[in-house]
Amino acid sequence: MNASLELLLATPFIGGLLAFIGGKVHRWIRNLIAIIFSFATAFEIIGYYNVTIKGIVWGKLFGSDLILQTNPITWLFLFIVTSASFLIVLFSIDDMRKEEDELKLDAYYMYLLFVEGAMVGIVLAGDLITFFMFWEIMSWTSYFLIIHGGKRSMAAGYKYIIMSVIGAYAMFLAMAMLYAKAHSLVYTDVANVLLHSSPAFVIWTIVLLAIGFFVKAAVMPLHTWLPDAHSEAPSPVSPLLSGVLIKMGAYGLFVVLYGLISVKLAGSLMPSVFSTPLLLYIIQWLAALSIVLATFLAIMQEDAKRLLAYSSISQIGYVVLGIATGTSLGVAGGLFHALNHAIFKGLLFLVVGAVIYRTGTRNLSELGGLIKKMPFSFVALLLGIIALAGVPPLNGFVSKWMIYEALLQKKEVFLLIMAFVGSTGAFLYVYRLVHSIFLGQLPKKYENVKDVPILMQIPIWVLALLTIVLGIMPGLAMNVIVKGMAFFGFKPIAYNLFGFPQGTAMGALTTINISAGLAIAFVVAWILFILFPKSRKVSQYDNYAAGQVVTEDLKYNYSYGFYMSFSRVIKPILKWSIERVYNYWVEAAKIFGDYYMRRIYTGNLETYNAYIVIVITLAAAFVLLGGKIW
Amino acid sequence: MVIDKIFFTIITPIFAFAVGLSFMMIKLKVSARIERRYGPPIIQPIYNILKLLLKEENISHGVIFSLGPVIALAGSILTVLFIPYAGIKLFTGSGDLIALMYIMVIGSLGMALGAGESANPNASIGISRALTLMLGYDLPFVIIIISVVLYYHTTNLADIVAAQAHGHWTLWSLPLSAIVGFVVAYGALGEHPFDIITAPHEVATGPMVEYGGKHLGFLVINHAFHIYIEIALFVDLFLGGATNVLWFYVKMFAVFFIMMLFDEVYPRFKIDDAVRFFWKWPTIVALISLIIVLVK
Repeated sequence: MNASLELLLATPFIGGLLAFIGGKVHRWIRNLIAIIFSFATAFEIIGYYNVTIKGIVWGKLFGSDLILQTNPITWLFLFIVTSASFLIVLFSIDDMRKEEDELKLDAYYMYLLFVEGAMVGIVLAGDLITFFMFWEIMSWTSYFLIIHGGKRSMAAGYKYIIMSVIGAYAMFLAMAMLYAKAHSLVYTDVANVLLHSSPAFVIWTIVLLAIGFFVKAAVMPLHTWLPDAHSEAPSPVSPLLSGVLIKMGAYGLFVVLYGLISVKLAGSLMPSVFSTPLLLYIIQWLAALSIVLATFLAIMQEDAKRLLAYSSISQIGYVVLGIATGTSLGVAGGLFHALNHAIFKGLLFLVVGAVIYRTGTRNLSELGGLIKKMPFSFVALLLGIIALAGVPPLNGFVSKWMIYEALLQKKEVFLLIMAFVGSTGAFLYVYRLVHSIFLGQLPKKYENVKDVPILMQIPIWVLALLTIVLGIMPGLAMNVIVKGMAFFGFKPIAYNLFGFPQGTAMGALTTINISAGLAIAFVVAWILFILFPKSRKVSQYDNYAAGQVVTEDLKYNYSYGFYMSFSRVIKPILKWSIERVYNYWVEAAKIFGDYYMRRIYTGNLETYNAYIVIVITLAAAFVLLGGKIW
Repeated sequence: MVIDKIFFTIITPIFAFAVGLSFMMIKLKVSARIERRYGPPIIQPIYNILKLLLKEENISHGVIFSLGPVIALAGSILTVLFIPYAGIKLFTGSGDLIALMYIMVIGSLGMALGAGESANPNASIGISRALTLMLGYDLPFVIIIISVVLYYHTTNLADIVAAQAHGHWTLWSLPLSAIVGFVVAYGALGEHPFDIITAPHEVATGPMVEYGGKHLGFLVINHAFHIYIEIALFVDLFLGGATNVLWFYVKMFAVFFIMMLFDEVYPRFKIDDAVRFFWKWPTIVALISLIIVLVK
């Protein structure tokens, strides 16, 4: 493959425009263009596997070169972005058909491809200007995608864009500070300047940039937009937001922490706690708090997509926690978890999307018993939740294991306890998800529901397969991650195709033995099981009800408030809400707007005329008195 | 060498089952004597299992309902292979203590899925309680695991056992952790006052409400494994494992006997009180122990 990086970057943007124009001819031309171009982007990155390109200058702005570059870490994120986008385009074709306004659909595919292109741009960027440009394109195009989800999504999207803009301002301020000092925003120049700057300057730069990244990555306390936006967005957009878009925040954090500065530099600037520079340690605590609190909130949810959204906040916590450890094992674990989370959270959102497609609701207490009607979706969801809960032999387990071991090595026990509790809490909400949708009693209205069309099943199955492959062979991903981390100056960690030998962590892990042992144990237990007399299948109404006869019109299901007793336990924690703090400020701003701004912007033409006259008079008086306006 | 390994891989689950079953037998007799009854014949649990397995009439609510007990048993068999006993370590090198914590969950997951498909609210409530209780005892559990790991600087269970040779048990070096470990293992076994999951008077045996025949037989077998897993792990972590099978059995029995005595005298917790209990005293004591390890 000789395609240049510019072509890779341009492909999705061209595809988006062509899809919009193609939609004017026929909707299938538009769909076909969207599929072809998203596939082409995913196909082009094959050529960059394990390739390092130091920098291609593609333009010049404010005297600073605009640079594209690639290395194995870039490739990892390119893989996440492009393959997820391709699968989501496939899923959209059938799912979005219910949208009747074709013009809206044309725009939808255009924005979908634009978001993909923007994320490719962010990942390929070799300087902060390119990075920021594509960052903003990503924010705005994803905003347009979110508000496709109907009335309530407008408010959610508004919240999202407001918080994104605040994050962007913070980043912009950091960039301005750097530009004033370095007169160039290329990563290598910035790194050089930071190396010779005062500690206060470096810390301010990192903090400001981190605010921007944390808004996107939804690290607490900047997470409040995520549950609304991710649950109100259209079904195919939610996996894009939760699986891919929030990873851009993690990627940005990685680049800033290890590309622009280094752990060593950070360590020399500030005191260390548990052999971690203080700033990194604070980031770790924010991540750990995200893990625990978001997990508790996810347990309380009654809405399938909201539950998954809160779970995303908690899982991105693991990614950030891993990246902020600063050790090879921890950072590798964090990056691997970013990949894994994209896979299993994409899978889960798509399956929930499939359920919404067939039943029209995402309210958990209205669903139930769908296993008999949508068996394939059930198996896919099951794989997704096992991966999310971090249970072997699927992929989520391996990356979480790496993060735990890294924290153990550093003796960061309190963070480790929180990470463990978040993982156990995940069992609660993932079981709630699978139980309320697929298990329990089937309501009568879903008697005729069946599995989703093949075009929607393909993406689900590709992701389901990936959870198994990466769970048994984590070496495939470690191959890329370890090579890429060497590029950022990390010591390589020992690994093999099936896990980690003794010495990398405090213990060894061989995934193939776990999965093979489980398979054999299962076969043995199953053979034992079928040796005994066969069982007869009975209907769900043939059930124990203490003598009462269960009939169709009797709702004999336990689904609403599944963890009521647990919510009583954590009530004191739930009282606290950062969202209320923000809302307080919003209200204050509203009052300011209503009472004071309204006095000036009265909406009355005469007032405005009076302003014009006053200004002209003042200007004239100023000139007459000998002043100079220009 | 390979033959050895295969032999022990086959024999270990059988051994674990036998140990668990023997404890179930003894428990019937002991609790009868405490309650001043004569009690059933000592091999009654064997009769029970055989009766259940050989029932001609079995009902099933679906594929996962049937597979639930099978996955539960498979998960238990796999877990048993990871726990070293009497110098025999089969899979211990393939997954350390951290991995083991999550391998132990596989069986419970199968059980939870099967119970969910029985389409009975009692079963669902049972699972909801089981998971809530799990989150309760998991907090002190992870803290003591971390203390032990940091104390021995390894997560390899076989190394932890080896480091306790010649009577240097963790029980003596970290007594507070050991006490909490006992409470946690006790809670995980779901004995009084933590029998909230099955609570026959409230949720009609909870997850098991729709199970009967061979399905229930499998669950009883699984319970025998469960007893073995919880207590064997406690013996390995705190009582120094053992050099031979007999000694290992004696240690396990000692732990189980104390548990039996507690089981007889307590009533039942409310579920939220159980969680509050685990998050209060065991957690505080475990944290003190952890800080002692950190400071040392």
